[in-house]
Amino acid sequence: MKTGNNSFLSSVFFEKDKRWLFIWVTALCTVGIWDVLFLNKPALGKVVTGFVNTFVIAALVVSFTLLIGWGLTIALHFLSRKKNKTGYIILTFFLNILRSIPQIVGVLFTYIAIAALITSGKATSGILIFPIMAVCMSLFIVNELVDLMRDRIDHFMKLDFYNAMRVCGIKESRIINFDILWKNSRIHIFNKLIAVFGSAIFLQCSVDFIISVGLSSEVNAVTLPVTLGSLLAKIDSKQDILAIGNTLTNPMYFPNLFFSHLLGVTVAFLIVFSLVCIYHISNGYAERHRL
Amino acid sequence: MIFITLLLAAFIAVIRTVNVHQEEHIGSKVKQFLDIPVTNADDRFQRALLEDAMDIFYPDQTEKNDTIVQEILSIKDDQFNEQLQKSHEKRRLSFKAFIEISLMYVKFLVIYIIVMLLTYYGVQTIASWRFIREKYAEHTHIHFPDKSLKHKITFSKSVKSFIKTLFYLVFFSPAYVIAYSIRTEFNTDSVFFMIFLAVVSNGLLITYTNKFRAFLISESRKGYIDTARVKNLNEQFTISDKGITPGALLSPVKNFKGHLFNHIFKNAHFQYLSTLKEQASFLITGLIIIEMALNIHGYLNYEMLRQILYKNYELVVLIAAYIFYTVKFTEIFTDYLMYREMKKYENR
Repeated sequence: MKTGNNSFLSSVFFEKDKRWLFIWVTALCTVGIWDVLFLNKPALGKVVTGFVNTFVIAALVVSFTLLIGWGLTIALHFLSRKKNKTGYIILTFFLNILRSIPQIVGVLFTYIAIAALITSGKATSGILIFPIMAVCMSLFIVNELVDLMRDRIDHFMKLDFYNAMRVCGIKESRIINFDILWKNSRIHIFNKLIAVFGSAIFLQCSVDFIISVGLSSEVNAVTLPVTLGSLLAKIDSKQDILAIGNTLTNPMYFPNLFFSHLLGVTVAFLIVFSLVCIYHISNGYAERHRL
Repeated sequence: MIFITLLLAAFIAVIRTVNVHQEEHIGSKVKQFLDIPVTNADDRFQRALLEDAMDIFYPDQTEKNDTIVQEILSIKDDQFNEQLQKSHEKRRLSFKAFIEISLMYVKFLVIYIIVMLLTYYGVQTIASWRFIREKYAEHTHIHFPDKSLKHKITFSKSVKSFIKTLFYLVFFSPAYVIAYSIRTEFNTDSVFFMIFLAVVSNGLLITYTNKFRAFLISESRKGYIDTARVKNLNEQFTISDKGITPGALLSPVKNFKGHLFNHIFKNAHFQYLSTLKEQASFLITGLIIIEMALNIHGYLNYEMLRQILYKNYELVVLIAAYIFYTVKFTEIFTDYLMYREMKKYENR
């Protein structure tokens, strides 16, 4: 007879998404304990703040992408069924423009605009900035989710059950929202949201790194929240990362990375390892549900 | 595209107008006197000369003249200092600037096309190789269960997993992490390094390799595969002369004639074409990150970052327009490829 513990262990061992989630959490805890023991307190504080800020913004991006994506999908669906297609054309045109702007360029411009608003005093720096940043990033990611949801709707509308439900007098909005998107597509949507979470971390770190390296005199560290990307761009972290290269020609230097260069190595590890784990979780989830 | 071009041109015109108005506004109170040549605002002689001239032209308002002179000198001083400080920074969209940026764009385009071709080749080759290996392992597991290592944990398997994880860490690293890690040992500012970085970093190669592999797996489960088997096609999934030849696997134009894999590959390839738009956008994002984050001088996206810093928005708009065109032309090209392939399948 299987016990609860055994089934948990077997699911962690055999199900890729759960296994990688377990590995990710375990690695984060291990790095956390190591940093508490060997990293100085001010640097530790910065790492914790950067990590929390990055993941909070990424989580907000996921939430806003879901909300905006769902809203746009429904709007596109109903506008496309109207006789007057003006609304549909305008919305599609707007989405196509967003699609044609590389995500990094879009996010970079919007972040610079946010920083300018903060500097001019029109937006106050603080907790309000997080949702603004997240909404801006969501706008450049949302197309992926809209495409997925529209594909799902188109697929189910070709099946008999859609017409059967319409004949039974069920409202179209209920069929689309509840029967197609919620009941039959939520696993697909959730899988896409995991990927969006990874993209958000990648974009957030990259844009913050670029801003900190290239626009440091224009957009200083005070205007935008500290994230893993901006932490990595700091001179201390950069020197720590450069030390990794040193170990290629001087392997005996390797152990020093975990003591003398802990700040940069930790930040780089948190970014890279999180991206790898999120990718595997998303892939594993898709495999487990046969998406 | 025409609409966006017009929109961007209008935007540049607006920026120009705003700049002119700002410049006019600076000297609005003493605008009529700003043409007076004052070479050194601190020179007492020039100051006295200006005061005397003002008193001659506007007598009986000495106090007002003093204020005007002070203001003129102050503006002249500011203009001189600003010119000195920003002489290398402030630029407008001139013909020379246009040509310079266009040349940078050509360089960007060449790198983009090379990286696109390399990833296109790499994605298909690595995914095919992985698929063939997995098929072989599956075959061994079914027909020779004693030899199979599928559910066994061995030392070599653990080492392989560890190396695989290391590769994943490299492939998923953002470009700037890899570049800074090896900056002390290699020249990271060369074009070749940029191309290498664009191919291996930012998760580009690995993401699309896995996508292509997923297409191969899903195609291999379809009904037409059984039909192909019945027709007695070669289904030996080994990289050898008996199965899939190394030459066919490594060839840029892949053809596995007489092998079951040929049909799986061609159908997966058709699906992969539809993801090229997404891959191109991802690649452009990667190239932008590399050029901007590594501060590689003389490249399009670094130039954009520099012009944002100096607030030369006319040039920023031009560079943004070039990037937009790249994405759009890639989309058009991909649509054309899809159309051509569709025609082939529909016997048109």
